[in-house]
Amino acid sequence: MSPVFSHGMLRLYLLKLLDESPRHGYDVIRLLEDRFMGLYAPSPGTIYPRLQRLEAEGLVTQSQEGGRKVYQITEAGREELRRRQDELDHLEAEIRSSVHYLASEIREEVRGTVHDLKQELKQAAREIRRQQRHENRSRRDWHDADAAAPRVERRLRDLLTGTDQLLHRAHLTEAQIRECAAILDETFERIREVLRDKR
Amino acid sequence: MATWTIDEPRKLTFDTVRRLRVRTVAGGIAVVGTDDRPTLEVSELDGPPLWVRHEDGELEVAYERPGWPGPFGWLIGRHRRQVAVISLAVPRDCEVDLGVVASGLMVSGLRAPLVARTVSGEITLAGCSGQVEAQTVSGAVQAHGVAGDLWAHTVSGDLTLVEGGGTVGARTISGTVTLDVSTPGAGDIRVTTVSGDVTIRLPHASDLQVQVQSTSGQVASAFDELHREGRPALRSIRGRLGAGTGRLQANTTSGHVALLRREPEVRESP
Repeated sequence: MSPVFSHGMLRLYLLKLLDESPRHGYDVIRLLEDRFMGLYAPSPGTIYPRLQRLEAEGLVTQSQEGGRKVYQITEAGREELRRRQDELDHLEAEIRSSVHYLASEIREEVRGTVHDLKQELKQAAREIRRQQRHENRSRRDWHDADAAAPRVERRLRDLLTGTDQLLHRAHLTEAQIRECAAILDETFERIREVLRDKR
Repeated sequence: MATWTIDEPRKLTFDTVRRLRVRTVAGGIAVVGTDDRPTLEVSELDGPPLWVRHEDGELEVAYERPGWPGPFGWLIGRHRRQVAVISLAVPRDCEVDLGVVASGLMVSGLRAPLVARTVSGEITLAGCSGQVEAQTVSGAVQAHGVAGDLWAHTVSGDLTLVEGGGTVGARTISGTVTLDVSTPGAGDIRVTTVSGDVTIRLPHASDLQVQVQSTSGQVASAFDELHREGRPALRSIRGRLGAGTGRLQANTTSGHVALLRREPEVRESP
């Protein structure tokens, strides 16, 4: 946020509009448009955060009325407005008489909006890039696992044929059969666990 | 025909202005659309006098002997003394052509075509609905609510468009390009950079044919409908969003590209 706005005209003007009467955010935007002589309509994305900031500073309060937010100036807000009344009068007179002044007001306004948006999108872009790099990396790991799968399969075949030979050689007791089955169950369970983790 | 020679800050008004052309060196130029009488305001002047000509609805502001300062004119610093801060209010349908070397340009509230060129200044556009051409070498271009077509070229300046509507052609070498598109079926969006990053935010529901690629940068997208091509799979994305009526093309050599998605619209009722 450029300092021009946090201490500047727009903020004072928001207070002034709310001093006249409590208003919806939408009314505030429409009235601001009038102030810029219809040349420039500030977007909700510009105004709402500023109203929220004023609220955080205790200069305005907000209430719900029929599902819409209504903003109202506080005593602290009035005090701030009184303190800077001269400044406000002076600036208003300038705006009315000077194209130059009006133009620089609009320029500052656009500059602030653009700056905020740029920061916001830059942050979002950085986040999404980081996320997708991460996804891509895990996808690559998975491909490596695919290449490794045949090696596991070979071991599995070896186990099968080896066990088969052993089974045909000996006469098995009930206890031995039960023990072998338990080993196989346990092995399968562990393999399943390991692969689930990988995913 | 009426002409004025301006050697100190002053204000002039005119009856009709349908076309405006300004050529200055340093200082600043601002143009705002108005329903009142056209006005020229020179609020600062340092150097040779300005020359103003008004004829048949055409208004021209320049130096008396604009001429070519010679191939090394910039070396001897001739323009260092040519500072003029100029503000104009013109009808919204006035065609505007602005050229300046080392100062910012600001234009607001016009419906007619606009050309704005500067070398090292920044270009600021607000609420312009005509066709706009903006060129700067090292300055930034920042636009808010440009509903018409916008062509913007910079060499190293950043390019930012907030609440853009129509066709956008953005080209830069090392500047970044940041677009926040607010209409779903936005026309043609073409972005080209060499090393600048490209960040584009689209409405939650868009109707666009998308083709995005980077030679060595990373391409990231928040849209699952778009698929990646080739390997490593981070360099290119293409596909269709919604009905695919508009087009989005972004090309960069070494910049990163990010396609972001807005949250679904929740309108506060008026």
